[in-house]
Amino acid sequence: MEFVFEWFRTLYQETGINLPFLYDEYDRNRMIDGFFTTIWLSLVCLFFSVIIGIIGAWLQGSAFKWTRRIVNGYIQLFRNTPPLVQLYFFYFAIGTLLPRVENDWGGQSPILGSFAWAAISLSFFAGAFNVEIFRSGIEAVPKSTVEAAEALGFSKLQIYRDITLPLAFRVVLPALNNNLVNLVKTTTLAYAIAVPEMLYEANQIWSDNVNVTEMMFFLLLAYFVLVGVLVGGMNRWERAMKIPGYGG
Amino acid sequence: MTYKTDLPVMLPMKRREAEPFLSLKMWYILPIALLAILGPNLVVAQSTPESQSPIAVLLNWAPLLLKGFIFNLVISVSAMALGTFVGAILGLGQISLFAPTRHSSWFVTQFFRNAPWLVLLFFAMFLLPFEINLFGFKIPFPDWFKAILGLSLPVMANVSEIVRGAVRSLPSGQWEAAESLAYTRLQTLWLIILPQCVKRMLPPWMNLYSILTMATVLASIVGVNEVMTLTGQALASEGGRPDLLAPFYGFVLLLFFIYCYPIAKFTVWLETKYAVIS
Amino acid sequence: MNLKTLATTLVVSALSISAASADILDTIKERGKLIVGTKADYKPYGFLDTSGAIIGIEPDLARDVAEKLGVEIEFVPVVSSNRMQFLEQGKIDLMIATMTDKPDRREIVLIPDPNYYSSGTNILALKSLGLKEWEDLRGKPVCGIQGAFYNKATSQNYGAEIVAFKGTAEAYSALKGGNCAAFVYDDSAIVAKAAEPEWAEYEMPLQTIDDAPWGLAVALGEDNFAQLMSDMIIDWHKTGRILELETKWGVTNTPFAQAMHDKYK
Repeated sequence: MEFVFEWFRTLYQETGINLPFLYDEYDRNRMIDGFFTTIWLSLVCLFFSVIIGIIGAWLQGSAFKWTRRIVNGYIQLFRNTPPLVQLYFFYFAIGTLLPRVENDWGGQSPILGSFAWAAISLSFFAGAFNVEIFRSGIEAVPKSTVEAAEALGFSKLQIYRDITLPLAFRVVLPALNNNLVNLVKTTTLAYAIAVPEMLYEANQIWSDNVNVTEMMFFLLLAYFVLVGVLVGGMNRWERAMKIPGYGG
Repeated sequence: MTYKTDLPVMLPMKRREAEPFLSLKMWYILPIALLAILGPNLVVAQSTPESQSPIAVLLNWAPLLLKGFIFNLVISVSAMALGTFVGAILGLGQISLFAPTRHSSWFVTQFFRNAPWLVLLFFAMFLLPFEINLFGFKIPFPDWFKAILGLSLPVMANVSEIVRGAVRSLPSGQWEAAESLAYTRLQTLWLIILPQCVKRMLPPWMNLYSILTMATVLASIVGVNEVMTLTGQALASEGGRPDLLAPFYGFVLLLFFIYCYPIAKFTVWLETKYAVIS
Repeated sequence: MNLKTLATTLVVSALSISAASADILDTIKERGKLIVGTKADYKPYGFLDTSGAIIGIEPDLARDVAEKLGVEIEFVPVVSSNRMQFLEQGKIDLMIATMTDKPDRREIVLIPDPNYYSSGTNILALKSLGLKEWEDLRGKPVCGIQGAFYNKATSQNYGAEIVAFKGTAEAYSALKGGNCAAFVYDDSAIVAKAAEPEWAEYEMPLQTIDDAPWGLAVALGEDNFAQLMSDMIIDWHKTGRILELETKWGVTNTPFAQAMHDKYK
């Protein structure tokens, strides 16, 4: 391994192509941490945005007018404002309003840190889209199927959990995947509130080493591969979950 | 032998039934406005009495922030125009019969679709020169122009996909029918296929515009003087008072909501109007 | 076909980078305008008024330069992470942006001597934390500004976890919001900040480290402009212009500015 690292150091000395995250241990650890933070943040947001989507879609079918209105308001609010400003608003504005806790260095810190706020904010943002996606899937489930379940004595929750949702899930998968891929790309915004994800770490490295060009190309390539792998995996899953004969 | 039933397993998937166009109810905006205005007053007790109230400070800066917001809109419209133009060519390249064109167009599209917007913006910002020497003429590349270029890259890729998707969504029988009537490929595309595609492309295209508008704030991260940059600088000039954060960011949220919400409604209305009856 | 155009554009743009311009002083005079990069979020050295204009100590210095050249002035707001790139790209002619003079920076931009100002690194932290030494920061989250050179030093030497933001507004908010134990920044700015009534509970508790001079900069190879700037800086020190501006913008006169004034008087 050391040999490879040294090769890149020589490459820098010989050609000026500076890739410090390969030969400098400090920068390498930063970049690896950044990569895993991106993955972890993506997974957390994927999970919670899907949960929000499922619950939101269920609430949208509620009999109470105000429940539906609040869900609609949430969707419109989050769909029509920039996610970056939402992030700032959550982190700086709402974060300071919350109660504080004693921390281990003797100060008072907010309950939630930048990573938590990024996860919350991005989950709500992607969740707003997921609610609509799940809702359209639920509406594709024929009334007769629901009625049949009712006749068999299923409760409302059981029908949603065991009948409607599994069917809906299979038809909305393409739309859902598309949104989730977007979500992974959107995690770069967490950079703005200093979540140490890939873009943030790359920025730290190019600030210290003034090698923007190399870092930029590396970032593009890294995201291309990361998102490419995700898209490939999702497509395979879509094919496996497709309802035969549905949707041409 | 097939069995026929009037009980379908699944209904065709539709977009959600839209609310009537322009039902912009006040209560939609109310929550943000309330948050923006009342939020700071809850914490105003913390600040010293001699400092101005957050609302007064916001009013001082509002004209400048509005100017910044208009700049965001200019960036969004220009990036959309540029991205649509190049993207349309790229999209047609994707359905070309000439394999190298098809494959290279596909690759370019996928590449720029997979890259995060922010990374592309950084890319354009730092790697493009500040001016180009073309036959002795110096064409300057100011920041805002680079932001437009940077933002038009993902727009281009998305438009390319929209065009390809729309052309693909038409039954192949149309191509064959046109061919039998001795239309050339170009004529078929121009006279038969594309006119039908416009209706299908309009809603996703509008959607894309909305996303682009919201992405213009990313330019703040690379230092273009748009509304978020100005907000940050205004906050710094006021000495970093924490009670100003909620009203300022709330104000920016409100600006975007007022602009984007009608667009979203209009898109949904277009979608229902142009819905293809199958 | 599209790829080809793309490739052509790339080649054209690549070529044009290498084509350097002649003497920048001629370009400035021809253009009739001096373009200066300054901070816009660094009170009182460079910040905005409500009309959106950049004001402060450094913009005032830049105005002196424009006056000397007999041209108009235009300000471009810069941040620490892009100021040297802007100068390299030729987006700005001159950079007066609170930049610490460092040997590795002198490889990228041309910093004329002598230095015009000086500051060191210190932290702004709650008095109640009782921080005494830099070592006390170990393992604690410390806010910083993206692109500042002392971020790496603070985390490598003292083990602090740097949380870097784009601008000072975000960093100050994060500090006040309790997201960081301290904010590592230039002592000149921190002194001014700690004196404000809203920051009464905060202090600058540590020994200033890395006390280093600030350098204004021009692009590499612009020796004539650098010479002119050297004369300007000596003149500023001689006439006490820097001390005067400090007083104008409410900063206590710094030892460095005083010493330089005495030296060139």
